[in-house]
Amino acid sequence: MTSSFFLDGKEIPFKEGQTVLQAAMGAGQYIPHLCWRPELEPHSSCRLCIVIISGKPFSSCTQPAMEGQKVECNTPKLNAMRRAVTQLLFVEGNHYCPSCEESGNCKLQATAYHVGMQDSHFPHQFPIRERDSSHPRVNLDRDRCIRCETCVRASRELDGKNVFAIHGRGIKSRLAVNSPTSLLKDSGISPDDMAVKLCPTGALTVKRVGFEWPIGQRIYDKESLATIELREYANQEAVHG
Amino acid sequence: MYSATATPVPDFLDLIPPERRSDPHALLQILIQIQHAYHHVPQEAAKRLAAEMGIPLVRVQGLLSFYSFLSPQPQGEYVIHFSDNITDQMFGNRELVALMCQRLDVNLGETRKDGRVSVHFTSCTGMCDQGPAALVNYLPVTNLDRERIERIADLVNAQIPLKDWPAEFFVVKSQIRRSDVVFRKPIEPGAGIRASLERGGAFLPEWAEDLAPSDARRHHLERGGAETLKEIYHSDLRGRGGAGFKTGIKWESVRDAKAGDHYVLCNADEGEPGTFKDRVLLTDYADMVFEGMTICGHVVGSKIGILYLRQEYWYMKEHLENVLNSRREAALLGKGILGTDLDFDIELQFGAGAYICGMETAMIKSIEGRRGIPRRRWPLPVHQGYLRCPTVVNNVETFAAATVISAKGGAWFAHNGTGQSTGTKLFCVSGDCERPGIYEYPWGVSVHEVLRDCGALDAQGVQVGGPSGTMINTQEFDRSACFEDLVGTGTLMIFGPQRDMFEVVKNFALFFQHESCGLCTPCRLGTTLLANYVRKFEQGCGSPVDLEELRNISGLMKTMAHCGLGQTANHHITESIEKFPAIWANRMKTTEFVPAFDLDRALEEARGLTGRNDSEAHLAPVEA
Ligand SMILES: Cc1cc2nc3c(=O)[nH]c(=O)nc-3n(C[C@H](O)[C@H](O)[C@H](O)COP(=O)(O)O)c2cc1C
Ligand code: SF4
Ligand code: SF4
Ligand code: FES
Repeated sequence: MTSSFFLDGKEIPFKEGQTVLQAAMGAGQYIPHLCWRPELEPHSSCRLCIVIISGKPFSSCTQPAMEGQKVECNTPKLNAMRRAVTQLLFVEGNHYCPSCEESGNCKLQATAYHVGMQDSHFPHQFPIRERDSSHPRVNLDRDRCIRCETCVRASRELDGKNVFAIHGRGIKSRLAVNSPTSLLKDSGISPDDMAVKLCPTGALTVKRVGFEWPIGQRIYDKESLATIELREYANQEAVHG
Repeated sequence: MYSATATPVPDFLDLIPPERRSDPHALLQILIQIQHAYHHVPQEAAKRLAAEMGIPLVRVQGLLSFYSFLSPQPQGEYVIHFSDNITDQMFGNRELVALMCQRLDVNLGETRKDGRVSVHFTSCTGMCDQGPAALVNYLPVTNLDRERIERIADLVNAQIPLKDWPAEFFVVKSQIRRSDVVFRKPIEPGAGIRASLERGGAFLPEWAEDLAPSDARRHHLERGGAETLKEIYHSDLRGRGGAGFKTGIKWESVRDAKAGDHYVLCNADEGEPGTFKDRVLLTDYADMVFEGMTICGHVVGSKIGILYLRQEYWYMKEHLENVLNSRREAALLGKGILGTDLDFDIELQFGAGAYICGMETAMIKSIEGRRGIPRRRWPLPVHQGYLRCPTVVNNVETFAAATVISAKGGAWFAHNGTGQSTGTKLFCVSGDCERPGIYEYPWGVSVHEVLRDCGALDAQGVQVGGPSGTMINTQEFDRSACFEDLVGTGTLMIFGPQRDMFEVVKNFALFFQHESCGLCTPCRLGTTLLANYVRKFEQGCGSPVDLEELRNISGLMKTMAHCGLGQTANHHITESIEKFPAIWANRMKTTEFVPAFDLDRALEEARGLTGRNDSEAHLAPVEA
C-alpha cells in the first residue's frame, strides 16, 4: 500500500521509510540539495533542502514522509533562504569559477544557477586553507570545499576506506586526510574512488583530465541540474528499488 | 604540529586496563586523563591509542581539534583558563588577564618558553556568582582580584605545587539565597526510590499475591515503575534543561521501547553562560539527582545511568564518587536496590570543553567517544540514543525534581507554578546585584520580583536564559519566568545602568562563533558573519544597511540552522536592535553604506612584514 503527502499542494506518493526528499525526487519534484546523495546516509548539513511542515522547518533529506502531511517547499521565502545559504557557501571558501577546471561540471555552481544567485552578497571571508597536490592522480583543493562530507561518507560507506574526516570546530573546521603524513599521497585514495567522483565541487578532482571537455560542452552546460538529478535518481531507483 | 620536546608517554597508557584501552567508546575519557597528566596529548599517545583501539589516527586528531580542553601542543605545567563570560568581563577579567600575563611574562594563548605556564580564555566556567573566575590545572579559582592574581603569579613563578596553594583560592560557594518548597527540606536519600518501589508493592511479603515468588517480585517492580510514571505525568514535569519537553512522555517512550538495553543519561554539561544551578545541585543535593536517575531507571527499565559532567566541574569528581559509593553502601545503587530485583548503577563521564555537547544528541556522541556534533533529527534518542539504544536524556534539575515527585506525589508538585509550568525552578542570578546566587521560586515569578530580592533596583537590562535566551529592558521587567513567557534555563544576568549593552552583545556573538560546531552552513557562517558585523559597529563603522543585514542573517539562522545552537545564536542581535537601539545607532556612520573592507586595516599585514608602524604607513593619521 502506498501513502501520499502534499508538496506545495501536489500529491506525492511514498513508500514506508522514505524521506520527503526521496519521495519528491521519485515523483519528479526536484528539491535543491548539496550534501544529500541517494546512495549515502543523509547528513543534514548543507540545509538547502529545508521545507516547512506545520509551520516548522525540517531538512527534507532526513524527514520521514508522513501520510497526508502538507509540505511547503517552493515558496518565495524559502527560495530566498536557499539562495542565501548558497551564497554563504561561496563566500566561505575561495571559489574562482572562471579558472576552475570543474566549472560547468560543478554541482555547487549549478545549484547557484538553480536558486537564482546573481552575486555573492555577503562579505567574502578569504580563508587561508592548505591545498594538497601531493598525490599523483588526485588533487584536494580545500579552497573549494563546502564541508558537505560527501567524500567522508562515500569513502567510508562505498569505498570502505575512511580516507577523510573533519577536523576543528565551527568556521575553522577543515577536511582532514587520514594518512601518516596527513597528505593524500600517503592515504589509501585512488582516482576511481566514489569519494572523488561524488564530490560536488572542484575540491576533489582527478588530475590530468580537467579540460578534457571544453567549456560549453560540460555536464550542466547541456542540461539543467534538476533534469539531470531527477534522471539519475530515477535510474538509481530502477536499479536498487 | 608537535613540539620536538614533547614529553614521551612513558608507561602511562599501560596503567589503563587493556579492555578499556582498546574500547573506542572510551577514547574521549582516556584523552582527558592523558591531558591532565601531561597537559597535552603527545602524538605517541594518540598513535598508540589509535592502534590499540583499531581506529584511524585521524579520528583521534579529530577529537583533539574539537574539544577546547584537549591540546596536541604542550601546555604549561600550570595551565590557566580565564572564564570569559560577560559577568567575568564586567568585573574586570580583562585587566586581570593582562596583569597575570605581565606578571608571568607570557602572551595570552601561548606557553611560556620555559614551559612553566600558559594562559587562555575559555567560555563561562559556571562561577558567575563568584567571578571573575579561572581554572588552574582544571580546578576552579574564584573571586579573582588584583591581589589574588599577583599571589597566583608568585606561586607559579616560585613553582609551588597546586596542593600547597592557599585553600581559600579554590573555595566554590553554593550561595543559595532563597529556597522554596522543593529545596527547603531536601528529600532524605532513599525516600524517593523507596516510594517508587512501594507503589508496586515491592516490599509486600512474596505470598501476598497469588504468584510464584520470583514472578511476584518482577510484577511488583514492573507495577511500581508504571505507577511512578503516572505520578510524573500528574506532576506535569517539564525538562529543566531549556526546551521544556514533558518528562513523562519521554520516559514512557523509553519504557515502551522494546529494542536493546535502555540508558539513563544525566546532562550536566551546563554550558549556557550564566548558568550554575546544576553545579549547586550536584554539590549540595547530589543524592537527589542520583536518586532521580535511579527512579528513572526503575520506570524505563534501565540498568545503567551516566552523568555527563562538563570539564569545568572536574573538581567535583571525588565528591560525586563519594556520594555514589555511600549510595552503593546504603543499597540505593548497584545490584538489588533496597533488597528488590532492581539493578541500577551510575558512572561519571566528562566533557572536554564544548558548549554544543549540552545538546542532547551531541552529548550522546561525546559519551560514545566522538566529536560532539549533533546527529540528524531522526531517529530520536528515546528510540535510538546512546549506542543506538533507547535513551532518556534529562537535565540535572529534572532528575532532582523527579525524586521529589516520587517521594511527595505528582499532585503535591503540580500545586506550585503556573498552568503550563508546574513546580518550582532554580534561578541563577549574577551580574549587577547585591546578592548573586541561586534562588528557588515557583514558576511564574516576575523578573521584577527577582530583581527586588537580589538587590538590583537600577538594572537597565536582564539576559534571561543565557545568551541563547531573551534580552529584556526595563519595560519588560513585569514579564514572568515560565514556559508561557520567558523560557530557558532559569538564568538571569543583570546589567546595571553603568554597563554598555554593546559589550554584552559582543561577548555573546564571540561566544557563539567560538562554540558553533561547524556542521551546518547557516550557523557555521552565520555566527562568523554576525561577529564580524558586531566588530564593524564596534569600530564605529556601522550603517543602516548592516543592521538590516544582521536581521536577515538572524532570520536565516533561525529557520535554516540544524540545531538549537544556530537557531538561537542570533537572539541577542535581533533583541538588542529592538530593545537597545541606541547602542547600535551610536556606532553608525551617518552614511547609508560603509564597505566591510577597510583599506587601512588591510595594510596591516604589509606593515607587519616591513616592520613599520609610522604615520606614513597608515592611510589615516595615527596617534603616536
Ligand atoms: C546548544 C545547546 C546546548 C544545550 N545545553 C544543555 C545543557 O548544558 N544542559 C542541559 O540539560 N540541556 C542542554 N540543552 C538541552 C538538551 O538538548 C536537552 O533538551 C535536555 O538535556 C533535555 O533534558 P530536559 O528535558 O530534562 O530539559 C542544550 C541544547 C542545545 C541546543
Ligand atoms: S572535498 Fe568535496 S565532498 Fe569532501 S567535504 Fe569538501 S566539497 Fe564535500
Ligand atoms: S546549528 Fe550550529 S551547532 Fe548546531 S549543527 Fe549547525 S553548526 Fe552545529
Ligand atoms: S541536502 Fe538536506 S541538508 Fe543538505
